[in-house]
Amino acid sequence: MLFVQAAGRDTRPGSLTMVLLQISEPGEPTASHHSRQIALGIDLGTTNSLVAHFDGTETQVLKDDAGRAALPSVVYFGSDDTKIGYAAEPFSVTEPANTVASAKRLLGRAREEFADDPYLTLTQGGALAFSTAAGDKTPVEVSSTILSALKCRAEQHLSGNIAGAVITVPAYFDDAQRQATRQAAELSGIRVLRLLNEPTAAAVAYGLDADAEEASILAVYDLGGGTFDISILRMREGLFEVLATGGDSALGGDDFDRAITDFWLAELGLTQPSAIQRRVLLGLARSAKETLSAQQEVTMDCRALDIDCAELSLSREVLEGLVGSLIDRTLQACDVALLDAEVDSVDRVVLVGGATRMPRVRAAVTECFGREPLCRLDPDQVVAMGAARQADVLVGNRGEGEALLLDVIPLSLGLETYGGLVEKIIERNSTIPVARAQEFTTARDGQTGLVVHVLQGERERVEDCRSLARFELTGIPPMVAGAARIEVTFRVDADGILEVTAVEQLTGARSEVIVKPAFGLDETQITEMLKASYEFAAEDMTARQLAEARVEGEALLAGLQSAMAQDGDLLVVDEAQRLKEGMQALEGILAADDPQAIREMTEQVGRVSEDFAARRMDRSIQSALKGVSLTSLDADQTEERSDS
Amino acid sequence: MRLRRKLHGLILEPLAGASARDYFVLFHIEPEFQIDMGVLERAYHTLLSQFHPDLFAGKPQVEQRVAAQLCADINSGFRVLSSEVLRAEYLLKRAGVDLAQAEKEGVGAAFLMTQIALRERLESADSAHPSERDALSVEIRDRYNASRDAFASAAEDERFKEAACYWQEMCYLSKLRDATRVRAA
Repeated sequence: MLFVQAAGRDTRPGSLTMVLLQISEPGEPTASHHSRQIALGIDLGTTNSLVAHFDGTETQVLKDDAGRAALPSVVYFGSDDTKIGYAAEPFSVTEPANTVASAKRLLGRAREEFADDPYLTLTQGGALAFSTAAGDKTPVEVSSTILSALKCRAEQHLSGNIAGAVITVPAYFDDAQRQATRQAAELSGIRVLRLLNEPTAAAVAYGLDADAEEASILAVYDLGGGTFDISILRMREGLFEVLATGGDSALGGDDFDRAITDFWLAELGLTQPSAIQRRVLLGLARSAKETLSAQQEVTMDCRALDIDCAELSLSREVLEGLVGSLIDRTLQACDVALLDAEVDSVDRVVLVGGATRMPRVRAAVTECFGREPLCRLDPDQVVAMGAARQADVLVGNRGEGEALLLDVIPLSLGLETYGGLVEKIIERNSTIPVARAQEFTTARDGQTGLVVHVLQGERERVEDCRSLARFELTGIPPMVAGAARIEVTFRVDADGILEVTAVEQLTGARSEVIVKPAFGLDETQITEMLKASYEFAAEDMTARQLAEARVEGEALLAGLQSAMAQDGDLLVVDEAQRLKEGMQALEGILAADDPQAIREMTEQVGRVSEDFAARRMDRSIQSALKGVSLTSLDADQTEERSDS
Repeated sequence: MRLRRKLHGLILEPLAGASARDYFVLFHIEPEFQIDMGVLERAYHTLLSQFHPDLFAGKPQVEQRVAAQLCADINSGFRVLSSEVLRAEYLLKRAGVDLAQAEKEGVGAAFLMTQIALRERLESADSAHPSERDALSVEIRDRYNASRDAFASAAEDERFKEAACYWQEMCYLSKLRDATRVRAA
């Protein structure tokens, strides 16, 4: 599923560095605090997408010209034009093959997973893509089209430069799905400040106006169109901690619609429905489901099916029978999350996602947590609102005393070991960022190679986990067994994205290999697409890159100047001299119009200053902990955390 | 057992973390088995609220990098120190105990027999009466606590060879204890 591509910088034998699924970030946040930076929160949903903005006092979900907040995640790719959202919806009946809905379900996934899906019109070979009149469209491209529309909406509403966006993803999204989301954003020219888990975003929207003095446990039950997530969070002392997260990235309200559709197909005796009939029924199923949240019975006009039947009916009782097992699956995930979080009860339950409007779902959640759920904020909008708050923090508008968010990884990461078993390196629900290292050595005399297979998932066997990368480490110098020392480090950043490095310790040599999901797009493809896009004419691209490179270079200069003034005593021997030389060189090159040269020099000066930065950080650790007394004030917090 | 791992014919040795930072020093805590969880948690929160990556948005990349690494250390350190089994293991490694060797020597036949018997009882307890299962959970917990206390006093007296043995018992028994929790849910 993945290919490995040698970057070819340093291929000395005996070592290898693999940067897994790393996507470059276009520029860094600007350092200016003088004016308020505009940041967006985007909920890229399976069924609907939203964009929100926090203006310093209020969070606003941005609406279209007709006053609608939601943008249906539907794109019509006609031979002449592309339509997005409400404008695209009618085509899902007339031209189902050219109208892509729920593309998020396919984001970062493999073709085999959708082989038998009768609702999709996919290309035969190559990358997983929809076959449309406008050509083959990958799920990444479809998502990027939706993101562009949201960005466009934000530009109409807000004046000023959009610094970036927080884009939400289901907590249960794996690494490949997160990468694909990032790619979609990159393709639409949106700078991603952070990928934020959807339930965490919802908790932020609710939690930030809660009384933060008391420690409280919050459960977020998020049943969206295509995914189910459950997260347990603890809020106390200005920290918002995700204790556990779980769910099912392939279970959502869409499955309810399909269950109804299948029920009707059986009732009508339609064994070979056309694609159009399926779409019609799916649409009817969705409105029937929505209507049944308010009433007991519903009758739908189904003449559009063009069969010998004019009406279809459904009762709430039958519906609840159809979806009962799906709801039970969500409750099982809730039990696991509660167990993982090691809490006995929760103080508040928050509902997110349109599917939580169903009375049966609400009753099940109430029973599971022993508490009436909160739904003060619109369950369809709460994720975008929380994302907007977090985006505002991340562009440097963080207020004094604002809560800090500690998120976790949803799935364990590990390596294939002897006998097709998976050895976990980082367990699920580890707080991010996180890094963990393991040392390898050879088992046989003269062994010069080994295979490292990186996996994600909870199951013990390799075939039950998701393969993220597989690479061969060759060129280990022949030694006696146990003499080679290869350190493999797994690093997960604040976006939940994994990077794996392997370094041969004896020679200290490194080389790099970049691994990317084969079902996504590679860097060249993305660059090609960006170039082709009218929004990014060649000169704009260069101008943008130059501006971003300068911002980063200037930030480094300013940072170093103040650091040297403040902590000059921490500089060793000739360090000050080397730094000054580097800074002068960087200052000189900033004036030139060469983004590449600026970036390289910034990187170089950054490397020179890394040790100094680390020493300064150590000094601040000392002063940070000065106030922490050696006796505990909270005797009730001494219970043991579980061993993993 | 969780110590020795084979990877396509390779032996894996877990490292304490991605960096060589001493976690006790990092959190300003005395390097002992008995620690005050309240102090640890407050030190953890204090450090995070200074070094979380969110606070470095807009700072030069070099600072973001260093802070991210430090934050990863803080998270790893908290994970290790807040868990009794991992904290015990960390103390042994810190004292220079050869854990691979200790593992080869094992925990003694008597303990192994008890452990196997407990596991068998736990596996058959699924269909048994809940009260029986509860009693078993209590027994496992008590045994774990006994091994833990034995570890604590051995470590305090620097009888590390003995402590390493109790630590292995803690590993086995904590696994069993977790299994009773999963079954109870």
